[in-house]
Amino acid sequence: VTGSVWVILPLACLGGGAVVVALVGRLLARLSPRLAPARNGLLALLTALVFGASLLASLPLLALASREAFVGLEWGSQGPGSASLRADPGALIVIVVALALGLIVAVYSGRYLALDRRYDAYYPLLLLLVAGLAGMVLAADLFNLYMFCELMSVAAYALVAFRRRTDTAIEAGFKYLIMGSVSSAILLMGITFVYRSTGSLALPEVRAARGPSLVMASVWGRAGLACLLVGLAVKSAFVPLHTWLPDAHGRAPSSVSALLSGIIVQSAFYALLKASLSLGLPARSLGTGLILLSLLDMTLGNVLALAQTHTKRLLAYSTIAQTGYMMFGVGVGLRYDLPAAVQAGFFLLVAHAAMKGLAFLCKGVCHFYCDSFTIGQLRGTARDLPLVAVAFSVALGGLAGVPPLAGFAGKWFIAAQVVRPADALVYAGLAIVVLNGLLSLGYYLPLIGTLYTLPAEGQGSGGRVHISAWMAVPLAALGGLVLAIGFCPGPWLGWLAHVGPYLLMLGDQVPPR
Amino acid sequence: MDLVRASRLHTMWLLIVPGAPLAAALVLILVRSLPPRVANAARLAGWIAGIAAVLSLAGISALLPALESGNVPSFDLEWIPAAGVQFSLRFDWLALPFLITQAGVTLLAVIYAWGYHHADERTPFFYAFLMLFAVGMSGTILAGDVFVFYVFWELMLVASCTLIAVWGEGERRGAVALKYFIFTHLGSLLVLVGLILLYSATGNASFAALQSGADLVPGLVQAAAVLLIVGFCVKMAVFPLHLWLPDAHTVAPMPVTIMLAAAMLSMGAYGILRFPLSILTAAQMAPFAVPMMVAGIVSELYGALMALAEQDIKRIIAYSSVSQMGYVLFGLGTLTYSGIAGATLHVVYHGIVKALLFMCIGLVIRATGRRRITELGGLGKAMPLAAVCASVGALAISGAPPFCIFASEWMIFAGGFHTPYVGLAALSLFGSLLTVGYALWFAGRLFFAGSTEAALPPLPARSRSPWAMAGPTTFLAVLALVEGLFPAAIFRWVVAELASILGGNW
Repeated sequence: VTGSVWVILPLACLGGGAVVVALVGRLLARLSPRLAPARNGLLALLTALVFGASLLASLPLLALASREAFVGLEWGSQGPGSASLRADPGALIVIVVALALGLIVAVYSGRYLALDRRYDAYYPLLLLLVAGLAGMVLAADLFNLYMFCELMSVAAYALVAFRRRTDTAIEAGFKYLIMGSVSSAILLMGITFVYRSTGSLALPEVRAARGPSLVMASVWGRAGLACLLVGLAVKSAFVPLHTWLPDAHGRAPSSVSALLSGIIVQSAFYALLKASLSLGLPARSLGTGLILLSLLDMTLGNVLALAQTHTKRLLAYSTIAQTGYMMFGVGVGLRYDLPAAVQAGFFLLVAHAAMKGLAFLCKGVCHFYCDSFTIGQLRGTARDLPLVAVAFSVALGGLAGVPPLAGFAGKWFIAAQVVRPADALVYAGLAIVVLNGLLSLGYYLPLIGTLYTLPAEGQGSGGRVHISAWMAVPLAALGGLVLAIGFCPGPWLGWLAHVGPYLLMLGDQVPPR
Repeated sequence: MDLVRASRLHTMWLLIVPGAPLAAALVLILVRSLPPRVANAARLAGWIAGIAAVLSLAGISALLPALESGNVPSFDLEWIPAAGVQFSLRFDWLALPFLITQAGVTLLAVIYAWGYHHADERTPFFYAFLMLFAVGMSGTILAGDVFVFYVFWELMLVASCTLIAVWGEGERRGAVALKYFIFTHLGSLLVLVGLILLYSATGNASFAALQSGADLVPGLVQAAAVLLIVGFCVKMAVFPLHLWLPDAHTVAPMPVTIMLAAAMLSMGAYGILRFPLSILTAAQMAPFAVPMMVAGIVSELYGALMALAEQDIKRIIAYSSVSQMGYVLFGLGTLTYSGIAGATLHVVYHGIVKALLFMCIGLVIRATGRRRITELGGLGKAMPLAAVCASVGALAISGAPPFCIFASEWMIFAGGFHTPYVGLAALSLFGSLLTVGYALWFAGRLFFAGSTEAALPPLPARSRSPWAMAGPTTFLAVLALVEGLFPAAIFRWVVAELASILGGNW
């Protein structure tokens, strides 16, 4: 074992935390049934603590990584068949966002989970989900990538189907399970092909060590890379392969949807970038593919979102569209060698995590107190839950790109970078992006409007509801984040400065002989 | 030492112009949470908004001497250094006519709202959004950076859309607000792309950098100019991009309608002056002259014809705005000195007259509760003040000499005749006959003709209009006359703008 032990620390925190939380949960259940009402709160706090500790543990990594420009820290054994982790700039961003969102979701669940109970299963699963995510983006070899990806997926299947009371949740979980398993199998097949062609599972970083790409030189390698891309594309819900997402994100408990939509999908996207670039897929071709796919993603996501009547399905389709904007920024950056465009794409990733997390959590509060499920049932939210209505509007306005909220800054940066290369593809893409921005108003604005209209006579709970601090604090924290990112994008943008150069360095491949 | 203090003072006043309404909006949201007695809270809210509007206007007048002495009061703060974006405000001659129109209209609209808006527990929010709307407009005018410009530009839209969606009149207000938002947001997006093209050409978002040299590829120049002009024309409601306007103006509560028609529409003209005209050279703009003039004339004729055909008195004047913005676009499109000066002047005068007309309509609607012109008539006896003011407004908008719009229309047409396209100028000149038609018909029918449908119940007896509504109306009527007799002061400002902003290029 060589390298910096800091890399393993956040992961160890999450893994160990999951075990501890599970044990404490069982213990509390055995000790006294009378403790049951307090059990949720206790476990939520404990889980939040684990997330917090893990976040703290990743701070040294952040500090080190920012000092060492974009060379990541490695941990693990070297040599053939080795397993190793690498904290590169992109992975660190994804992890920090996931941990922060996880922390907020854990606190929120302290009240929200009263809907579903089974606390001793939920909280460990939450921790394992984020642990899987962290491991997947940290992985510096295909074995770890696959293993942690599976860990994340299995936790996600369970959490999607968590709401046992409704058969739709089970159905959505099952659909997700089937599609996810097939994609995992394809991913595994791809990994074996790659191993066959190169005899190594490593995802090399430094070009000198890598030489010309063996993967791209052989048929097996190329086939393996293709399988790898398809497998990870399912997990990141690229458009023809997105069909599981609206069901899964629409049926999972809102707290879980916040995590799934906010960061899980995007982390798979990052894993795809990292793996394919490291294995030698030229950045230019990957960029072109991403641009084309992203246009499909955003258009389809927005068009389908227009037709939704269920709030969470709408938000799920909006995730597909917003991931499309991110991919567009990253794709342009890779294709035209523009690190700032990649940076802009990651800025939107961070902003989107906060906005979409907030939107789902607000939806969860409405569901919790007013039992609202469809968009129409959200009427009267402003009367019954005024602050939630404000927070929800901030989230949706941000997603719609209304300045000065977070989403606008993200789209501005992407657009400002994207017009750099004078190229027909980019201009056409920008036109489609702009039209999509307009299209998306068609569902965000009516949704905001619905919050402020009064329900028809005899509907709705009628009367102001006092929301629990377990929910109010996370909403306030995320709302503050959305405003902070929107009003002062500078520091956040600065934080993401290394991603672009790093990914381009990965993609800077010596052409195959 | 004195210079430093003076410049600090300027910065303070500059920040007060958008800052006072912003602070008022925040205070008003707090006022909402202490409502023991509804009427008092509403009155307090009205006063807070009024004071903020006065402060904003005071800030502008305090900065006038600075402008006269050749300074450009400005305020800069690093905002997003990584992207070359600063939070920068600057106040120059180009901003002045627009800013003074906006601030004046806001103040009068707030005073008018004291009388017009019925008080309920949400009234503080109403004034808060009115103030945010004002912040959006003044910020747009004062912005010294494209990013800041766009942020305020959209704030303007969000605030006015909220006002329509929540306080609009009629059941369709939600749908109308949505239409308004989506339609004008389409324009905003075009503007955004245009701005980004300019921004990425210089790598710096400040206006100064753009003006000093945006070296764009010729193809991009065309693209940016088209995007910006079309985008700003949506805000100006030029035919066929006007579809949002009649509904939005009709549904909005009267104070908001006044601000929309008299101040917000001209933001489009400001944008055209600020971006394509100030940044691109005369040669680069030349291909757009005829399209802009033609679009202006079409809009002018179409708006006037629709005004003649409409039945709802608020819609008549709403279509009149489409027509009047046509004059402005025509003036800008001439690309001549007097055409552009006339268009800018027209923005100010149109603000006065359009606010006046809408205020008269508000008086009529309040007194009678009716809006269809066929159900109204012969109000002159019952409402002599409104009759006189509306007549002044109608004469002014048709360009009759002693009133203010005569001066600006004169200059616009003069600009038209300076171009090689004399035919277009003549067409535009004769098109103004239609304006005379609807304006005189409107005022005559409403106040001086007898009611045609005798079966209608008699109009309510003469009701006294509150001074808060009658006062601003009278003031504007007098102003329309005074400005018509003495246009020199404002004209001097407008010319100063052209000399300093367009001086190099034209």
